[in-house]
Amino acid sequence: AYLYPIRCCYVFLARLLHSVVSFFSLMEQKSSPQSGVHPRQNKQESFEQPPMYVAVMTYVGYGLVTLFGYFRDFLRAVGLEKCHVAQEREEQKDFTPLYQDFENFYTRNLYMRVRDNWNRPICSLPGPVFDLMERVSDDYNWTFRFTGKSIPNVINMGSYNYLGFAENNADFLKSVADRLQRYGAAVCSTRQETGNLSLHEELEQLVAEFLGVESSMTFGMGFATNSMNIPALVGKGCLIISDELNHTSLILGARLSGATIRVFKHNNMCSLEKMLKEAVCSGQPRTRRPWRKILIMVEGIYSMEGSVVRLPEIIALKEKYKAYLYLDEAHSIGAVGPTGRGVTELFNVNPGDVDVMMGTFTKSFGAAGGYIAGKKELVDYLRSQSHSAVYASAMSPAITEQIIRAIKCITGKDGSTEGIRRIRQLAENTRYFRARLKEMGFIIYGGDESPVVPLLLYMPAKVVAFAREMLARKIGVVVVGFPATPITEARARFCVSAAHTRDMLNQVLHHLNEVGDNLCLKFSRRKHPSRPDPCEETNS
Amino acid sequence: MALGDCWKQLSWFYYQYLLVTALYMLEPWERTVFNSLLISVAGMAIYTGYVFMPQHIMAILHYFEVVQ
Repeated sequence: AYLYPIRCCYVFLARLLHSVVSFFSLMEQKSSPQSGVHPRQNKQESFEQPPMYVAVMTYVGYGLVTLFGYFRDFLRAVGLEKCHVAQEREEQKDFTPLYQDFENFYTRNLYMRVRDNWNRPICSLPGPVFDLMERVSDDYNWTFRFTGKSIPNVINMGSYNYLGFAENNADFLKSVADRLQRYGAAVCSTRQETGNLSLHEELEQLVAEFLGVESSMTFGMGFATNSMNIPALVGKGCLIISDELNHTSLILGARLSGATIRVFKHNNMCSLEKMLKEAVCSGQPRTRRPWRKILIMVEGIYSMEGSVVRLPEIIALKEKYKAYLYLDEAHSIGAVGPTGRGVTELFNVNPGDVDVMMGTFTKSFGAAGGYIAGKKELVDYLRSQSHSAVYASAMSPAITEQIIRAIKCITGKDGSTEGIRRIRQLAENTRYFRARLKEMGFIIYGGDESPVVPLLLYMPAKVVAFAREMLARKIGVVVVGFPATPITEARARFCVSAAHTRDMLNQVLHHLNEVGDNLCLKFSRRKHPSRPDPCEETNS
Repeated sequence: MALGDCWKQLSWFYYQYLLVTALYMLEPWERTVFNSLLISVAGMAIYTGYVFMPQHIMAILHYFEVVQ
């Protein structure tokens, strides 16, 4: 019982030290060096730093709420306040404490205060507009109750609906309804037992053709595609070099595999090359034997930063040092490239150069699940060795048909130009949205082609106020704070969709402008040229 | 009319103060506690300044031999 304040002090000091170190690193201007390889990427991706007072006040704000958090914890411990969260029982109070670590402290004292901005229940299709259920809280967000009304026609800037396939148009969904009628809702088995439908074979053929590779395999869940297949590909004695900002599924798969993991700075080719050189020269840590395999894991578009991977340079490095490349195109498949084939098409790279291409169907195809594609030997090996193939139930027939019809639409196989129209609409929407936001003076991260637009908010109270104000104006946004982002870089993440019309985007931008002025969010210190006259804009 | 505008401007400034210091996330009684602490500390500093400033200024001037 007396250890509690000492432990709290230690945790607080450790966090303070860490944040002081990262505070000083905030002072340098971070911007990635220009890539001379591909002419299309002539604008460098920059990650602009805010003015100094923003960083200082962010820390002040977090410090203040932390102090009040300690005060409230004290009140709860003493008994002056009712404790709404889980607590140990009386008999267990002298055991190792369960709820004293930083995660629980943060959840109790920071997240719970403002959690009405997350987990909002949706009661319609997550298309370009949707309906939210109205909920209120009487005790500062510890419990919620629904008023019974719904908030209709909220503009959806948060769903991963890049090509607008989250739709309930009966004509488009006719084939999905037929399959559901014929095959039922579930497969009730794993792929290796009795769950291998002819539909799955058809889908895998289509995916392989779409990506331009020999063969592919699909799985029922996107997260499980990464976490269950990386252990099948690498094991002990192998080296995984993964990007700093990789998704949790990649990190989990890498840890499960038992391989050695090294991390290189985000999108930084010098760091990657240094690591590769060192790995090839020194070999495994104690025995100095050569590594059995070196696997470089990157993503196509990073979902929190919106930055695009430097694919040509990575492929050049991979050829030079004889490493393998694992490319996770969760957000970029269908969303970038002139015909929606992802970053390989964006950079004009041969898809055969990437050893393992992975992606998910959740984002651009309006379904669920993931795929791994590559050479036939690789995919055949995964069919027998992957945990997902042996133990996870296969993809549902209706979802499979949804992906099939989405791919046929994108490639134009169903005879219409709807697919290519959507891809062009997405590219145009992305360019317009990003340009207007930069012009207004917000700090935006990421490359110009990426439909994921993070808008930096920094201060915790502004994050909360932003989400609430936007909802009051009937725009649904996703705000992200710690622990999904670094503690000082809280942001709002917009996902532009092909289904958004220019009117909707203008409405969102108008409200963003107002909210940005009311909350003082326009931190950018760069001068941006104003938009040229729309009449003079040339079509690309 | 002017008073209404003044009130609006002041309440906008108060809103910015709440946002920047993260008091926006706290409950009203916590805001009262923090504001009263801040005002009392600031008040004490101003009072101390008011009481001791003449003596300090005289001491400085005496040190620089401007006044005996």
